[in-house]
Amino acid sequence: METVLIFVETKGGEVKKASLELLSEGRKLAQSGRLKVEAAVLGPLPGALVDKLLPYTETLVHIDDPLLEAYTPEAYATALAGYAQEAKPKMILAGATQTGRDFLPRVAVLLGCGVVSDVTAVAWEDDPITCVRPIYGGKVLTEVSPAAYPVIVTTRPNTFAIAEPGSAPGSVVERQAGLDAGKMQTKVLRVEQKQKGKVDLTEADIIVSGGRGLKAAENFALVEELAAALGGTVGAARSVVDAGWRPQEDQVGKSGKTVSPKLYIAIGISGAIHHIMGMDTSKLVLAINRDPNAIIFQYANYGIVGDLFEVVPAMTAELKKRTGA
Amino acid sequence: MDVVVLAKQVPDAEAAIEIKGEGAKLEVEQKFTTSIFDEFALEEALRIRERHGGRVKVITLGAGKATEVLRTGIAMGADEALLLDNAAFLDGDGYSTALALSRAVGKAPCDIILCGRQAIDDDRGEVGPMVAQFLGLPHVGGIVKLDIGEGKAVAESLTEGGREVVELSLPAVFTVQKGLNEPRVAPITGVMKAMKAQIPRMTPEDLGLSAQEVGLAGSKVRVKRYLPPKKRPPVKMIDGEAAEAAAEAVKILAEVERVI
Repeated sequence: METVLIFVETKGGEVKKASLELLSEGRKLAQSGRLKVEAAVLGPLPGALVDKLLPYTETLVHIDDPLLEAYTPEAYATALAGYAQEAKPKMILAGATQTGRDFLPRVAVLLGCGVVSDVTAVAWEDDPITCVRPIYGGKVLTEVSPAAYPVIVTTRPNTFAIAEPGSAPGSVVERQAGLDAGKMQTKVLRVEQKQKGKVDLTEADIIVSGGRGLKAAENFALVEELAAALGGTVGAARSVVDAGWRPQEDQVGKSGKTVSPKLYIAIGISGAIHHIMGMDTSKLVLAINRDPNAIIFQYANYGIVGDLFEVVPAMTAELKKRTGA
Repeated sequence: MDVVVLAKQVPDAEAAIEIKGEGAKLEVEQKFTTSIFDEFALEEALRIRERHGGRVKVITLGAGKATEVLRTGIAMGADEALLLDNAAFLDGDGYSTALALSRAVGKAPCDIILCGRQAIDDDRGEVGPMVAQFLGLPHVGGIVKLDIGEGKAVAESLTEGGREVVELSLPAVFTVQKGLNEPRVAPITGVMKAMKAQIPRMTPEDLGLSAQEVGLAGSKVRVKRYLPPKKRPPVKMIDGEAAEAAAEAVKILAEVERVI
């Protein structure tokens, strides 16, 4: 039977959301009886992670090597391609996270196969499969199919629903990557993890973003309070990042991050095309702006025309009232 | 330090794009610009040359407006340019594009290869890592800081929720993102020079490739159809005084849309 290999990305003992989404899809594919699904973890694999992953997959391949201790694209690509050359999967799937998009193109070259990056939907039953991927910052969608198998597909976080863990756990297969230390030319010197526990924008279910309408950096406190009340992550428009009010990693838009949360709240953001390109795949958008003609309202499901300095704190208060906090 | 920049001319973010022929092709308004991330790459190349000497070469692949990015590069200060110019190169996927570019890079020795994190038209972000793998070189993706030393480099990149610093040997490929530098405006003398510059061209044959290996023919994945994005229903405005509208919005999110 043909195999689908899912690359499972972990971080700080947690499974990345995009990987769990793919494992959930993989279980459906396996249940169809047409495909065998394997999951692969590279590098350290603590027991707690094994417990978390096994309910989602029949086979968990643990590919280990001292050089997989910290992520480098060379070592990851060589290790995953090495296993794929042996297991010969029909498809390799991974989250279109920063890491996934960084090393899977190298795997494609090593395997001499194609890659479809940052996909937002897949028709698995098509032969060959059809992937939907946005181009031009989401202004156009393309349907892309492989000319031949194998193919590598990376899927954007928040594309698939995460299933409940299954009741029949699979088993672990141990592998050594056998990487040649002499050939690996990248050494990780330092990894700084800021804001521990903060959900990254690309994975967040709820994002509250602020723009110029906030008038000053310190007024972002209003955005932060609303985000905290919703359990969301704070984002920012380019103008406020360029003004130094927020760090680069908070920027949503063409030159920042592309996000697809369930709920995106845009506060004091006019809706420049650069911003729209980063958030237009959000499922539900609420825009708050004092200008009734702001472009952002054309890209929103709901809009409030009003003074954000009144509306936003009132929303935060209403949420706290509801949750009894 | 010899630096190669892989750059791309792309439709402006504001350019109108229409889907034609029932999804068979795109009609793009003729408004072009250098892909934003490639501008950071060009700027960084020039700064490396200012500090360490050497030459800066810009390479692109494409027809028509594609040469504009090479002239932009020369206007900013690049020493030379190269155009992969042949109908066979066009409409490729990441793989066939990276194969051609990697052969072009490999024509002459260089120490550093820079390109944008992704081109802002296709949004694939595959070419940088693929070029590195085709050339058997290491790469670092999405860098925001680069320090060049003797035969090695230290690069800093943003990760999801933090940053990472890596050291690697040269030659190497770096894909760059916003935060690395502020691209310069080309001086008028540079623009004049760029207008007059003769741009060398190469065909697949010059790169030792057949027409079957590049462009659409060499693509491993194919675009079958273009579709418009899902249109959002018309916006519903929530009226009332601030407190009223806020309460109504929370109610809608919780009880109607059930997203919170």
